[in-house]
Amino acid sequence: MHEVSLVQGLLEQVRQIAKENHADSVACIRVLIGPFSGVVLDSFSFAFDVLKKDDVLFSQALLEIQAPEPSFKCRYCQGEFGYSELEEEHGEISSLFPLPSTKCPGCGRHGLAPEGGDEILLMQVEME
Amino acid sequence: MCDECGCQAGGASSEKKVIEINKSLLDANQRLGEKNRHHIEQMGAIAINMISSPGAGKTTLLEATAERLSRATRFGVIEGDIETQRDADRIRAKGIPAVQITTGGACHLDAALVHKGIHELEHLLGPDELDLVFIENVGNLVCPATFYLGEHKRMVMVSVPEGSDKPAKYPRAFIGSDLFIISKTDLLPYFDFSIEEACSEAKRLNPDIKILTLSATTGTGVDEWLEYLNKILLEK
Repeated sequence: MHEVSLVQGLLEQVRQIAKENHADSVACIRVLIGPFSGVVLDSFSFAFDVLKKDDVLFSQALLEIQAPEPSFKCRYCQGEFGYSELEEEHGEISSLFPLPSTKCPGCGRHGLAPEGGDEILLMQVEME
Repeated sequence: MCDECGCQAGGASSEKKVIEINKSLLDANQRLGEKNRHHIEQMGAIAINMISSPGAGKTTLLEATAERLSRATRFGVIEGDIETQRDADRIRAKGIPAVQITTGGACHLDAALVHKGIHELEHLLGPDELDLVFIENVGNLVCPATFYLGEHKRMVMVSVPEGSDKPAKYPRAFIGSDLFIISKTDLLPYFDFSIEEACSEAKRLNPDIKILTLSATTGTGVDEWLEYLNKILLEK
């Protein structure tokens, strides 16, 4: 539900950047949204499509979302593994978070926990 | 394009320009949060951000805390709700200073709202009269997890009637918390709630999370909660 306020903040930030650079229109906004940030990507895009209509500066603006793969760290062996590595080892995992029964591919123990991935970043703005 | 007629002549701004930013969308909130933390420390206090669904028992736990925490520990409460003064009134009725922040519809507190709350609390008490500030977030297990308020500890609470699957279903709130409280344990005989499931799910998401079980109504487990508070106060 807070995707709308996040996009409002994003557009405000980009508006400021456009002003500093004397730009008339924004062509593309690139963001990175971490898998554990709690942001729903569809809601974020939807909020962007709705809110961009309020300002002619954004009438042509595209939103590009980079969504990195979830990563996990084992608290026993300190090994780090991407989601796809876990799936290679265990087959398809239905949840974003591995089940308690999911063994660490490194040491075989049950020590996997989410690592990082809570970032929501404005990476790049393309403007004219 | 040129300002006079809109022609393309001599317009430097018609060139495409790519600007690298690499900055968090929550940057402004994060900075204000750090300011809040500093401000609270200058008051000689530490802050706890309380997150849960509506009705999990945050206010009731604060009422029990007011009754049982040693009078030597002075605490204040910043109440976040979408509407009404009701929770702040309940806390004030126990003789504890409380300020109410109404978000007017927003589903979470952010650092700017809490900043206002801290100033109001300070106005109410004068500086240097607090050891502990509870920030009772808007009842919601989703959005509050994204916004740092300047707290020293974050706690997440789930009550027995809500079910033991809550950590698995709302992981973000558990990943970012220091303390997990299972409340209303007096209702365990009437609900299908597995303490073991709730604890193992929470530990899986966050191996460092501390877990307490309690009932603010019967008082079971409240001593351990007070012990926890005293311990973090000693660490400050």
